[in-house]
Amino acid sequence: MNKLWTLLLAAALPAIAVAAPARAQDLPGDSVYHVQAATTDMDGRPVPWSSLRGQPRVVSMFYTNCHLMCPLIIENAKAVQKRLTPRERARLQVTMVSLDPARDTPEAMRETAHLHRVPDGWRFLTPVADDVRAIASVLDVRYRMREDGSINHTSVLVLLDAEGRVRARSEVEGAAPDASFLTQVKALLAEP
Amino acid sequence: MKRMLPLLLTCALVPANAGTAGYVDLPGGEFRSAVRYEEEGDRLRVVPFALMERPVSNAEFAAFLRQHPQWRRDRLPAVFSSPGYLGHWESAEAPGPGVDADAPVVRVNWYAADAYCRAQEARLPSFLEWEYAAAADARRTDARDDARWRTRQLDDGTPRAMDAAPDAPANAYGVRGLHGAVWEWSDDAASLPGAGDRRGADDGDRLKYCGATALAFNDREHYGVQKRFALLTALQPGDTLGNLGFRCARSSP
Repeated sequence: MNKLWTLLLAAALPAIAVAAPARAQDLPGDSVYHVQAATTDMDGRPVPWSSLRGQPRVVSMFYTNCHLMCPLIIENAKAVQKRLTPRERARLQVTMVSLDPARDTPEAMRETAHLHRVPDGWRFLTPVADDVRAIASVLDVRYRMREDGSINHTSVLVLLDAEGRVRARSEVEGAAPDASFLTQVKALLAEP
Repeated sequence: MKRMLPLLLTCALVPANAGTAGYVDLPGGEFRSAVRYEEEGDRLRVVPFALMERPVSNAEFAAFLRQHPQWRRDRLPAVFSSPGYLGHWESAEAPGPGVDADAPVVRVNWYAADAYCRAQEARLPSFLEWEYAAAADARRTDARDDARWRTRQLDDGTPRAMDAAPDAPANAYGVRGLHGAVWEWSDDAASLPGAGDRRGADDGDRLKYCGATALAFNDREHYGVQKRFALLTALQPGDTLGNLGFRCARSSP
């Protein structure tokens, strides 16, 4: 009988997991955190996409093997951060999400973070392979894997409020931050 | 406690992939695509993959909604907003007697199709994978040199389509309905060359201008491919159509 209960409990667990998004009920309808996707951070820890809820953040998608646009995306996000007051900086997270799960292992992501001397607190996340498109779609990042292993992709910083609503976008064309994007970042951080 | 038992048992007995259609293995290989992907040549490599034999049906999608009720039309969050999403179903959870349970589900947006496939530990096929599988007729794995067969593809997406009848023969790979009455989502629909808004992409400006879609073909004789390509590139992931469904694919291990 004990064994049977263990079995039944194991069967019930998925049901409990399904019930858990009760919290998701109060997520605003237009939140990108409605996407269910699994990611891993650069320490190899699992990070559900929806767990990013709770703090304003700048998100971008990139891949570590990219040597032209991706370093510019990182430099651009660093430049945005540099223009903030220490108080603002403490409130805003920066998250880089990989478009290339096959190659962007936690080690590769750590190496890129180190190489670009990104400030402490940035998160580098690699989604499960089949979950990349869903995150990209909701952020309106378009990409295509090319035969030579490079990826054509939208280079954009997306500003999300704590609830995951898209507040602003900045198409990255160079290392210098886009002034109107910066204004929107500061405006969001000034909100209570 | 007694009352809970039957519920728990129900959970225990439903396998994760209940009601999903079978998959067919496709060998892949070098493939001459009718689509020109920017500066790539016209010969592309298709990695071996598996594709559902048939598109996902109304009954299968209803089973998915029972396990993932967040995709019901009355619960869909605005971020996946979708005018007309499953609007032809009788209720939020079931197609009802007026809709053929075995017919391909339509009026589903890209997000729901993607979520369905991921729940089966699968994904949507890429446009290239679709084109490769759909190059076959009942006898040949690549029937595209047959002008008559190509011409019949002008009916794709309509009830006159050659694979529209449920008993239409499988193609040489064993896949059914690829030239059917419904179009199907691809994984990369929003990212195809010439698709929508290309601002910020680091692939040059060439394809973002009006009429650019016409430039995106290696071979303009492939009407079926062109029609489908033009349709998918015009859609946003939240869009739905009365003749647009989907099927899933899996990368071969």
